[in-house]
Formats: sequence, C-alpha cells, structure tokens
Amino acid sequence: MVAPTLVILAVVIGYPIVRAILMSFQRYKPLSGLPATNTGLNNYHEVFGDPIFWESLRNTAVYTFGSVAVSALLGLLLALLTENLGGRWRYVRSLLLTPWAVPLIVVAFLFRYMLDQDYGVVNAVLRHLGIIHSNVHWLTSSAWAMPSVMLANIWTQLPFFFLIFTAGLASVPNEVIEAARVDKAGPWAMATRIKLPYLTGSALVAILISVINNFNDFAKVWAMTEGGPGYSTTTLVVYVYRLAFSSFNMGYAATVGTIWLILLVIFAVLYIWLLQRKSAS
Amino acid sequence: MTAVLQDTRTTPAVAAPGRRRRRRVAGVGVALIVVLALAWSLAPVYWMLATSFKSSLEVSRLDPTLVPRELVAGNYGELVGHSLPFTSYLVNSLLTSLIAAVIAVFFSALAGYSLSRARYRLRGVVGQAILATRMLPLVVLIGPLYLLLLKAHLLDTYLGLIIGYTSFALPFGAWMMKGFIDAVPREIEEAARVDGYRRFGILVRVIIPLTLPGLFTTAAFVFMDAWNNLLYPLTLINTAQKQTLPPGLLGSFTGQFKTDWGGMMAAACITSVPLLVAFFAVQRYMVRGLTAGALAGE
Repeated sequence: MVAPTLVILAVVIGYPIVRAILMSFQRYKPLSGLPATNTGLNNYHEVFGDPIFWESLRNTAVYTFGSVAVSALLGLLLALLTENLGGRWRYVRSLLLTPWAVPLIVVAFLFRYMLDQDYGVVNAVLRHLGIIHSNVHWLTSSAWAMPSVMLANIWTQLPFFFLIFTAGLASVPNEVIEAARVDKAGPWAMATRIKLPYLTGSALVAILISVINNFNDFAKVWAMTEGGPGYSTTTLVVYVYRLAFSSFNMGYAATVGTIWLILLVIFAVLYIWLLQRKSAS
Repeated sequence: MTAVLQDTRTTPAVAAPGRRRRRRVAGVGVALIVVLALAWSLAPVYWMLATSFKSSLEVSRLDPTLVPRELVAGNYGELVGHSLPFTSYLVNSLLTSLIAAVIAVFFSALAGYSLSRARYRLRGVVGQAILATRMLPLVVLIGPLYLLLLKAHLLDTYLGLIIGYTSFALPFGAWMMKGFIDAVPREIEEAARVDGYRRFGILVRVIIPLTLPGLFTTAAFVFMDAWNNLLYPLTLINTAQKQTLPPGLLGSFTGQFKTDWGGMMAAACITSVPLLVAFFAVQRYMVRGLTAGALAGE
C-alpha cells in the first residue's frame, strides 16, 4: 500500500533530484536553444569564486539561525508563563497561535505595509514616541532589510514553538512538580532544573524541523524584498530561483542547489547523530 | 489580576504574607507579559482588518489613524469588480488546494497504514527515505520539475500544479497518518480479521473511521501548505486567469497598484479566511500530528 506513494515520490521528487545533480555538471541555458553540454567541474569552480553565492550563504545562515533562535527562546518563555492559565484565560493560548494561521503571502503584505517608510504604522508610532526623528527605510535600506524580514518570519513561527513547548510542559509528570514544590524549589529552579530537562527532546525535534523550513523558505523573502535591496536579503533559495527563472541558467542554478543540498544533508546528519547520542546517554 | 494566575495544581493553603505579596507582584508581571504577547500576535491582524475598511483618502495619510474614521467597503467592492482577476485567483487557489488535500490524504492513509502495520524487511528504510524527501529544498526540485512538466505538456495546467502540491505534501502526510494509525489498538484489527475482512476492508471499515481526526488534520496541513505555496504556481503557471492567490496578488500589488494599501489589505483579509478556518478546526490535534513524523524512532 506504500507503493503508490513511492511511485509518485520517485517521479516528482526522485527524478528531479537526480536530474538536478546531473545538470550541475552541465552548461544548460534552455532559452539559448543549445543542448546541454557536459562541462565537468566547471560550474563548481565558478560557484566557489562567486561573491553572490557566498553572500547568499551568509544571509541564509543569519536568516535561519537568527529567526529560529529568537522564536524558540520567546516561544519557550511564553509557554512557561502561560502554563497555569485556566478558566476563561485558556482561550489566550489559542489567540496566541493566530499568526500561524495567517497565510504567508498575507504576512509578507502586512509587514510590507506596516514597515513602509512613508505610510507604515511602525515609523508613525516610533516617531510619536520620540524614538526616531526621521522615517527609517526598513525594507529599502540594506542595513535594515534583513532584520525586517526576520521580524515577519519570527512573527509567523513563534506560535509553532509556543505550541510544542506548551505540549511538552503538559507532559511533565505531576509528581515531579509536587516533589520539587515540597523541596521548596523557587520558580526559577523549577523552570530550569525540573521542567527544562523534560523539554529537550521536543525542543531538538522542533528546532530541526524549523531550521529546515527556514533554509527552504521562499515565499516570505521573495514577497517582501525579492532579495533586495542589492543582495542584502538574497538567501540561497532566492539566488537559485533567480538563476533558474530570471537568467534561465539551469546548469549553474543546479550547481548552487546541489551544494546547498549537500550542506543541508550534512547539517541533518550531524543533528540526528547528536540527537541519538543524547537519547542514548 | 490574580485570577490570571489561577493555579491548576494544588497550592499550599497557608502562605506567609511576604510570600503572598511576592506572588501577587509576579502575577501582575506575568499578566503584563501575556497582554504584550497578545498585542504582538493580534495587532498586525487588527491593522489589516482596520486598513481594509478605510477609504483610500484615509489610508494615504502620513499620520495613520488607529481606528477607521468611517467604515467603507469600497476596497472589497473593487476586488470583485473587474480591475483585478481576484475572483479567479481565489477560485483557483480553493480548487487546487482542496483537490491536492483529498488526493494527498488518500495516498497518505495507504502509505501510513503500510508504514504502521505491514511487516516487510525494508519498512524502516522506506519510512526514512520518505521522510528524507521532506527535507529537500523545493527550489532545487523546481528547475527539473519544470522541464519534466514541460515535456509532459502539463505546464500551465491545474493538473501540473496539483501534482506539485501533492508530491510536496505526501512525505509529511504519510508520517502523520502513520502516527495516528499507530494509536489504534491492534486488537480491533484482529477482531475484524476474524470477522473475515481483508486488508483493504480493514483499512476502509475499521482504521479510517477511527482515525477521522487524523485524516482531517492531515488534510488541513496539506491544504495550508498548498494555500501558502508561492514557488510552484509562480513557476508552473503563466496564464493570469489560471494563477492562484499568492503569485496573483504579488503580481497585482507590485506594479501600478503598489501603494493601494487598502485594496491590498482587503485582499489579504479574504485570503486569510480559509486558512484560519482550516487551522482552528484541527488545532486540538496539531501537536500529535506535528511530532509524528519528527520522532522517527523506528
């Protein structure tokens, strides 16, 4: 019964991956009308000397690890603080999940509007509070564009961590909490010594899922800045997309994609190895 | 304010007065942070709603009004008017996402059942391989997929798009269904086998009715994934009338309508409704579904 799924995946995912790896050794520009020609490792040499590649690699790392770290920490904090909400207040938890249910294109539009340099509410509020004196070009200056896109990204994914950690906290056995209370553990000790150890498992899994999703994120970045200004928010996804569908340089795009695939696999293998070593000890 | 901190676990009946005061201060602190968190989560949504009902004159003020002076529906009216093919985007998004959800759930249930119950030697490897495809970057696949669909004459068709969505959602869906099916006791199945049901019969008559929440959760996830997908329709569809919401809206609000914030927010509001409904319908089952694939112990 698993066969239909395997067949579909082989055609729509397996074949493209093999083809992408093969293309990474070719010079192939479909619009030129020339057939693909094998060029060996030429593309790879070119990639390592390509400054835009290195810049997008750095941007990807900042975007991914920055967003995940901030979202995970804030999600953990919120989960700990709202743990004991009961009665009428338990709906607060559902309300805090709302950003997750907002479509990504809407998130992009919403933050584009709120961060607009002329009409945006963020500049207006900061101006009224006297924090800034002239409008900040949030999305159109290379210094602020990346933090601004990350802000939108953190807004959408914080609920994911909040939910995972809330579920993790609910699984801490009551006896453990009672025992700690009898020993007069303060709230800080309770959180760090008693509850956190129960959360590491779900935290590691959630971080892995979320790092991979962020590595592969296209919609938010593209809809907010298209990778600009300059290359300041060009992540690897955006760079590969531009290479493949703006310059139609399929071979070179496949090379960047393959290198990135290798990095992703290395990260995942290391991570899973760590995870298993941890659960073994 | 102390009502916020209604402790669900037992609290000591007698507490020292100093300790009680400290608790109250902590309670106010927590309440404050919760209110801040609510503002952070909901203010952007409020801003979207409020802006969508403002007149174009009010939207273009350099000093924005926090509450609309008067509520006008003009922004929504323009969407269904003829200036933008918004209605076709909406219909296309609904159609392709729903069909992809149904197809993906069907195959996911089959695969999930096999991964959960069938006994064959390579089951572990097959499961891991399916899960690994989930990690592959879409954008690396999209180039070759584009060329593949071009050859199969499926470029610029709904079918091509649905195939893309389905294949992207299948790995996660299969693992999600496996998680839900794992929770069904084997004894029930044994009883059905004694009653003479064959394997497919057991799946349809016994397993599926018992995992309906799982089916809906998986469907909701596939739907949300498809609804959010920008890359596939952007590259695989090139006729405006066939476009879905994300690339359609992106195209509409970049050129001359770039600063039509009112219209943009009205479109954003409508785009959000189906996803909000899907999300809150399955919210209760979400944690189980999400961690199913991730805790790949087997």
